[in-house]
Amino acid sequence: MTGASKHPARRPEPRPLPRPMSRPAPPRPVRTTVPGSPVGSGMPAGNPGAPLDTEKLFAARLHAVKVRPYLASALFALHVVEDRSVPTMAVDTHWRCYVSPGFVARTPLEDLAGVWVHEVSHLLRDHHGRGERYAREHEEDGPGERSEMGVPRAEGWGRLRRNVAADFEINDDIYGDGLPVPAGAVLPSLLALPDGLLMEEYLRRAPMSGLAADLAWLDCGSGADGQERPWELGPGGAGGLTRLQRDAVRFRVAEGIKGRPGDAPQGWRRWADEAFHPPQPWRQLLGAAVRSAAGAPGLGEDHSYRRPSRRSASVPGALLPSLRRMPPRVCVVIDTSGSVSDAELGSALLEVAAISRAVGGRRDLVSVISCDAAAGIAVPLCRAENIELVGGGGTDLRSGFARALRSRPRPDVIVALTDGQTPWPSTAPPCRTVVGLFPRPARAVNEDDPDYLPDAPPSWARVVTID
Amino acid sequence: MTSTTLLLAPTGITPLSSPSEAADTDTQLAVADDLLTLLRTTTTEPRPDEQLEALTLAVAADLPVLIWGEPGIGKTAALTQLAASLDLPLTTVIASVHEPSDFSGLPIVGDDPAVQGVPMAPPQWAVELVRAGRGLLFLDELSTATPAVQAALLRVVLERRVGALQLPAGVRIVAAANPRASAADGWELSPPLANRFVHLYWVHDREVVVRGLGGVWPRAELPRLVPARLPEAVAFARRAVCGFLKARPTLIHRLPTTETRRGGAWPSPRSWEAALTLLAFGTAACVSREVLALLVRGAVGDGPGFELLAHLDRMDLPDPETLLADPAAAELPERGDLRQATLEAVVAAVGARPERARWEAGWAVLVRALGTGAPDLLVVPATALAALRRDDWEVPTAVERLVGVVALARRADRSVARVAAAGGAASATGTHR
Repeated sequence: MTGASKHPARRPEPRPLPRPMSRPAPPRPVRTTVPGSPVGSGMPAGNPGAPLDTEKLFAARLHAVKVRPYLASALFALHVVEDRSVPTMAVDTHWRCYVSPGFVARTPLEDLAGVWVHEVSHLLRDHHGRGERYAREHEEDGPGERSEMGVPRAEGWGRLRRNVAADFEINDDIYGDGLPVPAGAVLPSLLALPDGLLMEEYLRRAPMSGLAADLAWLDCGSGADGQERPWELGPGGAGGLTRLQRDAVRFRVAEGIKGRPGDAPQGWRRWADEAFHPPQPWRQLLGAAVRSAAGAPGLGEDHSYRRPSRRSASVPGALLPSLRRMPPRVCVVIDTSGSVSDAELGSALLEVAAISRAVGGRRDLVSVISCDAAAGIAVPLCRAENIELVGGGGTDLRSGFARALRSRPRPDVIVALTDGQTPWPSTAPPCRTVVGLFPRPARAVNEDDPDYLPDAPPSWARVVTID
Repeated sequence: MTSTTLLLAPTGITPLSSPSEAADTDTQLAVADDLLTLLRTTTTEPRPDEQLEALTLAVAADLPVLIWGEPGIGKTAALTQLAASLDLPLTTVIASVHEPSDFSGLPIVGDDPAVQGVPMAPPQWAVELVRAGRGLLFLDELSTATPAVQAALLRVVLERRVGALQLPAGVRIVAAANPRASAADGWELSPPLANRFVHLYWVHDREVVVRGLGGVWPRAELPRLVPARLPEAVAFARRAVCGFLKARPTLIHRLPTTETRRGGAWPSPRSWEAALTLLAFGTAACVSREVLALLVRGAVGDGPGFELLAHLDRMDLPDPETLLADPAAAELPERGDLRQATLEAVVAAVGARPERARWEAGWAVLVRALGTGAPDLLVVPATALAALRRDDWEVPTAVERLVGVVALARRADRSVARVAAAGGAASATGTHR
């Protein structure tokens, strides 16, 4: 741990900075002690350090637990390490929480509670894993990283960017309701970005170069961006959690939120839903569903006795099957009622066309039916490069299914693209069905019929949610 | 180690044109051989490999394993190492280049089929496996085989029958498939089939690949079953799975419903039995929790697997009755969340059988906890324990040492109240969504 050499001596002058906490850090004490000296003991000369006020720190944690009971196990699982080289509070990937005694002393207790929640959110939301993945995919912090002018970025710039983006993701939804918003928290609005995005989306959308100088002091540790700091204890140090233990804590928190969804705000509920079952790319899922429907026994490529196998010559008297390809007929029923947007329909339709071509369906075997309350006729895709989708009223997909099944020759696969706000056929159609579902938020009551609930897609259909 | 790869190999090599050219080519080939020998001279270094440990244990437990992994990720290399370490001959069958009859048996028409029937002759590899009596059968590239071939193969996997031939018990079966997203013509397992496999997801380690290409490949220390631990391992696995399923009966059987989970592991009595077997094997081999996690999640799915592992964590916690019996010597877990769970279990145990002596012992445990860890953990258990007091019970003197905890709780309460009082401003900013 050679903390001194790594940190720049030049620090920004104190000024009204945007920050996640109450006050910017004072000039960071540069450690002059021998590397490896025990943390917290033997204070460096010239550091006016008071001992860590553990009572205040733990009272703040208690405050956090009281207002965010569902985060309790995660907050309690953090291992506190007193460290004077940390600007404020920081976490590492092993769930240790590094605390600067000076920061605790000058921060109001209720703001400190917010910092606890902020730091544990980095860990729960796996910002280090996601940050590392992002850096790997975009080659940040590598030798290839250049600015627009071809000049290498300053050291640590990529890490700072990831830290800021992670803070954006956290800060826009953890405060309020018992946790005061610190004055000048690092919020997406600083860069005129919308709230509620993910870290990766913030990274993709904004260069953040304007913020870099102002926020150079911001450091939530490797738990926020995946890059180890000199002052961290590393995997071998005391009090760290293994990957499995970390996952177990995150899992318990997620289950707790899912078990009592009323207590947690929307952002945390979404996290709990996706923490261990991240949404998969719908294109691949839809593709797999259509392919598997089209390739199921009896369809697509399979063995058949219609023509004997060439191997039959070696087994005289036996009839062996041969490999035959029977391209499936795919009929796409499209919900063109007013509630489905053109963009949604366009992207999903293109996808279905591409998939069905890929499974060997010739273009003339893919047909399209547009359907609102009544169904149109089936238009072969080859004639309809720009299919005109008609409709716009209410929805009744049953007519679309009926129309698809009446068409001759009968389709092998029906793909229905809809927002699901429709009645469904009461019995399974005699062919494979894939439903591409445009997600809709849980709806407010229908004024005409307060009890109306749209039916969920039936169990005989394979449902892929299209985002 | 014998390794037989069954491929439809091209027959014969085109002869060379003239003798002089041939001689020249021979020397060139010799040089090329030297170069190849140099390239293939690599060393190994010991390196822990969790996925290989998990694979070894599952194969040792005689459960069919399905390895999911992108093409070219080193599944075959892992299998080769596994076969070498288990000292089993490896037979690789690439499913996609075979026909259904290669697995269900080739019909041989005799003189009088109506009398003798048509025997289904097994292929050579199956005959050799039976003759050897043991071996590792690797069914590669399941995902690109046609449905009819897969249907025939599943009988091999599940019933160990190839045509009329029954594979001996010493044969272990491992299959490999590409993930649905990268498979060219998306085969997927139906839920009943997925339920019979232990699913392992193979990923590559960047460091291993870079070091390996540099000439040093990892050599995993494979887990060995410790004979002395067998009874203990079985008892542990039974206690863990039964205790868990008693607490979460809804997880005994749960068909996968969402598209994302299709084709993967899901919980059923059969897969719980597999999980129990794997737990026992893992315990007897003293593997890490990470390896156990891979195995359990591969058998019953991610969610139930995680819950079982969390349950194992709880099983590791000290027994509340032991703590109550001797509070002064109580060993409490270091980690805050586990410590709090332990203390809550102690309070719950007192609440279940409230007696004055036990209640006082409960306070003693709390005082002990105060001396060895963070004080904020104690607030909830102390409040709960205080609520259990009967009128004629006097507060033990040791409780005075918990005054600091009460002050801490008050301080946090005041802070929460301050924020609530100033709450109008905070909620007006619209951050609470």
